[in-house]
Amino acid sequence: MSSATITTAKPFGALAEFGNPAELYHACEKVRDEGFSVWDAHTPFPVHGLEDAMGAPRSKVPWISLVFALFGGTIPAFALQSWVAVEGSRQVISGKPMLSWQAFIPVTFEVSVLLGAVGALLGMLMINRLPQLYHSLFRSERFERFSDDKFFISIESRDPKFDAEGTVAFLQSLGSSHVELVED
Amino acid sequence: MPTAAETTFPADHSWRKLGPIALVVGAVLVGAAFGVDGSEHHGDFYFSYLVGWMYVVTLALGAMFFTLVQHAGRAGWSVVVRRTAENMMATLPVLALFFIPIFLGRHELYHHWMDAKIVASDAILQGKEAYLNEGFWTGRAVFYLVMWGFLGMYFRGRSVKQDTMTDPAAIEEFSRGTERRSFVSIAVFALTITFAGIDWIMTLDPHWYSTMWGVYLFAGAFMSALAFLGLIHILMQKAGLVGRIINDEHYHDLGKLTFAFTVFWTYIAFSQYFLIWYANIPEETSWYAHRMGNSWENVGLLLMIGHFIVPFFFLMPRTIKRIRWTLALGCAWMLVMHYVDMQYMIMPVHAHHGVHLGATDFLTWFGLFSVFFGVFILNAGRAALVPLKDPRLKESVNFVNI
Amino acid sequence: MSTKVYTETHQLSDPVAERAPLVLGGLDFHDVTEIVAKPVEDKIQPLWVLAFLGALTLLGVYGISVAWLVWEGTGIWGLNNPVDWGWAIVNFVFWVGIGHAGTLISAILFLFRQKWRTGINRAAEAMTLFAVACALSFPTIHVGRIWLLPWVFPIPNQMWVWPNFRSPLLWDVFAVSIYGTVSLLFWYTGLIPDLATMRDRAKGKIARFAYGFFALGWRGSHRHWINYESAYGILAGLSTPLVLSVHTIVSFDFAVSQIPGWHTTIFPPYFVAGAVFSGFAMVLTLMIPTRVIFGLKELITTRHIENMAKIILLTGSMVGYAYAMEFFIAWYSGNPYEQFAFINRMFGPYWWAYATMISCNVITPQFFWIKKFRTDPVIVFVLSIFVNIGMWFERFVITITLSADYLPSSWGYYTPTIWDLGCLIGSFGLFFTLFLLFVKFLPMVAIAEVKAVMPQANPHWDGYHHDDHDDEPGNDEEAA
Repeated sequence: MSSATITTAKPFGALAEFGNPAELYHACEKVRDEGFSVWDAHTPFPVHGLEDAMGAPRSKVPWISLVFALFGGTIPAFALQSWVAVEGSRQVISGKPMLSWQAFIPVTFEVSVLLGAVGALLGMLMINRLPQLYHSLFRSERFERFSDDKFFISIESRDPKFDAEGTVAFLQSLGSSHVELVED
Repeated sequence: MPTAAETTFPADHSWRKLGPIALVVGAVLVGAAFGVDGSEHHGDFYFSYLVGWMYVVTLALGAMFFTLVQHAGRAGWSVVVRRTAENMMATLPVLALFFIPIFLGRHELYHHWMDAKIVASDAILQGKEAYLNEGFWTGRAVFYLVMWGFLGMYFRGRSVKQDTMTDPAAIEEFSRGTERRSFVSIAVFALTITFAGIDWIMTLDPHWYSTMWGVYLFAGAFMSALAFLGLIHILMQKAGLVGRIINDEHYHDLGKLTFAFTVFWTYIAFSQYFLIWYANIPEETSWYAHRMGNSWENVGLLLMIGHFIVPFFFLMPRTIKRIRWTLALGCAWMLVMHYVDMQYMIMPVHAHHGVHLGATDFLTWFGLFSVFFGVFILNAGRAALVPLKDPRLKESVNFVNI
Repeated sequence: MSTKVYTETHQLSDPVAERAPLVLGGLDFHDVTEIVAKPVEDKIQPLWVLAFLGALTLLGVYGISVAWLVWEGTGIWGLNNPVDWGWAIVNFVFWVGIGHAGTLISAILFLFRQKWRTGINRAAEAMTLFAVACALSFPTIHVGRIWLLPWVFPIPNQMWVWPNFRSPLLWDVFAVSIYGTVSLLFWYTGLIPDLATMRDRAKGKIARFAYGFFALGWRGSHRHWINYESAYGILAGLSTPLVLSVHTIVSFDFAVSQIPGWHTTIFPPYFVAGAVFSGFAMVLTLMIPTRVIFGLKELITTRHIENMAKIILLTGSMVGYAYAMEFFIAWYSGNPYEQFAFINRMFGPYWWAYATMISCNVITPQFFWIKKFRTDPVIVFVLSIFVNIGMWFERFVITITLSADYLPSSWGYYTPTIWDLGCLIGSFGLFFTLFLLFVKFLPMVAIAEVKAVMPQANPHWDGYHHDDHDDEPGNDEEAA
């Protein structure tokens, strides 16, 4: 039932389709053990534990978010408020000391959260190199169903272990229902 | 599923001896504290004792809330650590007996409103007499202690009883029954801890009031119980108990909760302070005014740094919560900070000339903690170390964090 | 692989040992996509058009009220001395409160691993955004001279005077606008994979381009999912204290003052509990009809409704606790002004507002102790409307405390004008217009998230037979 269509001399890579998360999971384990490095899984939702099966590293987004929050939010926000209170617009308000740090906590907190959130989203997009509206995989008609109910593994031709026929055969041996080469 | 070796407390385990020893040593230390105390009317002793007693009671109450909430929320992950929380809350009947010294020292502790002469010259206190009078105060104390002792024993009892059941349908129904009973119990818990906090700590300064008080006490109580749960499991596993049932995933969750409630405590503490600071109404600011001079300001600073900033950054990274010794360090630190918090709440009323950590403080704290620990170990020795027949035990053992 | 078809009865019977699935009817992944995409891809229904026209009419009322307000000034409202905070602030707090449920569902329930949230989080978050938009409109218009609004931003004016960072009203500007922004980011982050789904299904060129543009070229890469989930978790972790802080800061508007009945330390958590309470009521008011009209009953089940009813019971009881605490401490304080403020609330000229508040907020949720009521959508729907009304009255009761403060010579009575009413009703127009547009153009259930909590999403699910793992499903790796 497996079929392979070889269309071009210099493909983007090989794309294999799987029917459910379990098949994908076990296939990923084998791709990982085979020593491929430039490859990926494509799923409609995050499949739990797949990063272990793929041997993918943990995300670095938290650190980006923390740096944004601290150095973009907490410190500047507190500094600005203190400066405004002591220098910028020096006024006695409700008999409080000029540098009444207590009153600056709410805004400092809010701005830190804002920057942390922006950092998380931007960090995620940056690491993922998104937005990238065009991608070679979108050439594949079957690939459209990654966002519905199909599960895919793509191995790119940049991978040193990639060779068109061998990789297709390897993916077929993993139980994929359909393997194809995608044009670059 | 866990093996029998993992879930039982071996009869010849060295910790078994620890229970009775800790209990006796604790009682002796408390006695010694009374003995070494040379202050007038034993004021130092009673105040130190109140600090130490509130410390262990809040630990047990936090554990009670933990247990009830796990039932009410149908939690799966926590089943393996729930029995320890149950053993903690089942110390409440014994801790209730240790209320007796506070009752005996009530005129020393609460003389600001129990002394008829003071009340006679104070119109505000006269207005409060319907609530602040010795009889009603004693009655309420008995009520709280009986309720807590009962709830602690009852929910642990149900859990232990389930261990012996075999029919799956009956076990299911039994769990549902526990869940149903937990809701009302949470309401009882919320009201009793609120009014106990008012009666035993807020009325130390009978003019002062804060609607947030109950929530503040609860925040610290729950945080400390979570820290204790983390620490004691690490120590138990070091001593060869509970095998490998409890793994990184459970510690990670306990660490996350400790972190979350450290932040929650900060939120409540800051809001209370902030509103009083901002509005600057004399009858309210008095409480903080007492704590902003005579070296108590340093304790406030210590709380701000040690109860918030340090644990906030220390407990934030995932790795810290998944490595035993770092988590143990964080938990132990928070348990110390909870004591500082108790000192801050109670002591300035007595030690208004400045922070004074004397022998009575250490002896009562170690003594009462030792009593608590002893009863805890004795409880742990009387049943399996995890709820064996809880229908969600398997889910808990296999649990993986997101 | 065979999927057991779960019925509602089974789901509601509270199974303990095996968790009842959240999706009914034995659906597979594709069915979920179909069900959620259907309302968006179907032709526009007459019912929707009718509802939309109704909403637009109300929005028109709002437009006229605001236009007249800007032209004539805030004098058109019933504001007087001493009640110089009127319905504008009541409506503001009311809407901000409603805006709390979305983030609570998407962030706090996420952190607590409450998987049932996936059925309702998208719609609830959308509702949050629209409620915050309504909320923001009130402080904007209540300044009267709205062209001077830039003064609230942290930039100096032409006299080199900066805004006053010690003012709670300025904190509001930060809190609410940042809350709106972060909620939008969170909501959008959740939408990205679903926009990709809509893109890949779209038939028309415009739809394909529009969905595709906002889907950012999402291709479901697991290496992307790792960072995505991390970012989502951080957004949840940040939104949790944020959602607490927003209503906390709103409560500061009242509580930092010295007005009896306003200045009380429990205000922050009490306001937060009240906000969640009202927000969940609004989610129920919206979702109970929506799930019927758009055929989402298998994804938003009676179990979801029951769980939300439980949260209403919990937060309603917290609100009741706060009312009781305020009353007790007012008496205990021995402060005659404080005592008077509360007696006056209960027996004074506004006793009817207080009675409405107590009966709707304290008594109504107590019905949810009874399972029969929690699981009957009609009853829940009716009770949720009572809660909405009660929470509006709560803010009214608090605001109106101004009518009798320290100075008896300036006591007064506040009567709203037709323009007050126009602004309140009109704001519902804004809310429903936005909500109806959302329902029509975006997937109102988080497709990817619902799929992820279905049992077959777990690669180690019992339904899959493995050759190499014949032992217990679930955890071969962990045990090793």
